[in-house]
Amino acid sequence: MKNREILELEVNGHRRQTAARPYDVLLDVLRDGLDLTGTKRGCDMGTCGCCTVLMDGKPVLSCLTLAGQCEGKAITTIEGLKDGAHLHPLQKCFADAGGSQCGFCTPGFLMTCTALLEKNQEPSDGEIREAISGNMCRCTGYVKIIEAIQQSAEVLRARKAGNEGQADV
Amino acid sequence: MLLPRFELHRPSSVDEALTIAARHAGDCDFIAGGTDLLQNYKNRLNPRGHVVSLLGIDALQELSPTRIGALTTLARIEESETMRRELPILVEAASKVASPLVRQTATLGGNLLVETRCYYFNQSEFWRRSKGYCLKAEGDVCLVVPQKETCYAAFSGDMAPALMALGASARLKSLDGERIVKLTEFYEGDGIKRYVLRPGELVQGVELPPSATSLRGAYRKLRLRDTFDYPELGLAVTLGMEGEKIRELHVCAAAMETVPLCFDDLTGSLHGQPLSDSLIQLLGERIVKRVKPVKNTALSPNYRRKMVMVYLRRMLEQLATAGN
Ligand SMILES: Cc1cc2nc3c(=O)[nH]c(=O)nc-3n(C[C@H](O)[C@H](O)[C@H](O)COP(=O)(O)OP(=O)(O)OC[C@H]3O[C@@H](n4cnc5c(N)ncnc54)[C@H](O)[C@@H]3O)c2cc1C
Ligand code: SF4
Ligand code: FES
Ligand code: FES
Repeated sequence: MKNREILELEVNGHRRQTAARPYDVLLDVLRDGLDLTGTKRGCDMGTCGCCTVLMDGKPVLSCLTLAGQCEGKAITTIEGLKDGAHLHPLQKCFADAGGSQCGFCTPGFLMTCTALLEKNQEPSDGEIREAISGNMCRCTGYVKIIEAIQQSAEVLRARKAGNEGQADV
Repeated sequence: MLLPRFELHRPSSVDEALTIAARHAGDCDFIAGGTDLLQNYKNRLNPRGHVVSLLGIDALQELSPTRIGALTTLARIEESETMRRELPILVEAASKVASPLVRQTATLGGNLLVETRCYYFNQSEFWRRSKGYCLKAEGDVCLVVPQKETCYAAFSGDMAPALMALGASARLKSLDGERIVKLTEFYEGDGIKRYVLRPGELVQGVELPPSATSLRGAYRKLRLRDTFDYPELGLAVTLGMEGEKIRELHVCAAAMETVPLCFDDLTGSLHGQPLSDSLIQLLGERIVKRVKPVKNTALSPNYRRKMVMVYLRRMLEQLATAGN
């Protein structure tokens, strides 16, 4: 049986090559092969959401995804969220609103919410609850998390309105 | 946790997948989303040396009210406007599977073949070794009903009862050719045998009769947490009315036994009768008497049986008024 072979993945906009075993999950390849340790391993069984990354814009669990099934897909991890030196509004709002305490669940929440706000810039609290129902947080009690998401939705809406305003000039 | 060692194959057509599976017969599993298989592999539950990924097969991606490809994800079913309009019961069932994150990669085919579940089976290798393995993996005796012949692990998929209640069939393909099997005849046997699918045979998708869209349908699920958890009871009901009388009625249940159950033999005789409280009561009593859950999930078998009656009444009342 072949052991490691070269796997080519598109991660955070860059083509990356790493040696991976056919039975490696994406989470292990990101953390151990590519040193992208922002993506966390919680349960390793699909029940906590800490390992969430975006695959072609959709939030998926990297602990239950074979790395070998990801070739040709665009993967975004928490490391790819900030824009140059600027934090993504979600990152800033989670920090400001107290949506992150120990922080272990935060990368997973941020990836799930990035996909949500991409699709829906005016989510109701109910829609947010549904969207984050696959992410567990043992610290915050979720109230601050929902506040943080609402605040970042507001920032993103204001930004969009600003951009559209400029385009009109 | 590292998965056990296996060789990963990535075919791009059904025939190629079948040929690879035949080459490694007995030591091979298909993988679609992997949300079920990889959990079990991590727990060292019957892993194989060869795994054939189906994700590269574009032909299995179709989605319409009469044909759904095996690789269609549950998220796609849930988000489809056409499915919402034509077959809302499938959207309801899909949206109750696991969590929204799992549903992004979980496929319909994988859901139909989701491994049966049991408190003594869905545990780590360490846990199972300490307890003494069971019949379904590595051991030779069942720890729920002590004997050496039958496994009682519960069928825990949410889509099968909803599809059954709509009259769906599975489209299967092996190197011997294609066959179409009604879902009501697809599942059989104990928690180890589970279905009529032969080794190396693949599910291409499901077919629904065009008349399915004329039925009103609902799916209810009993579980501990409203997200993540597998069904402790999944009840699907479809109803067609002609005026005040029942034209068609189907009731199907998941998580009661080793296979999803369909009670057409009990509902068939009710066609032509008015949908009354006493009819619902009688039907509920007959179904509750029939189902035989065992003590291998989180909630007690007695409670799960009683909830069949509660759900049946609520769902039929809901469906009866939905049409007015
Ligand atoms: C946290 C968590 C909660 C869950 N909760 C639920 C739940 O509430 N309800 C529920 O129904 N499921 C649940 N699941 C299980 C699983 O996510 C779903 O059943 C899912 O639909 C399985 O699809 P998949 O593509 O991931 O299957 P896989 O894991 O890829 O495959 C499952 C099985 O089917 C076989 N297979 C897959 N596709 C084919 C095919 N086309 N032909 C032949 N064989 C095939 C595989 O060999 C394997 O044995 C849960 C999973 C997790 C991680
Ligand atoms: S029902 Fe018995 S044989 Fe089947 S998984 Fe549970 S303990 Fe094992
Ligand atoms: S680590 Fe993947 S869901 Fe918990
Ligand atoms: S901040 Fe600690 S788990 Fe969420």
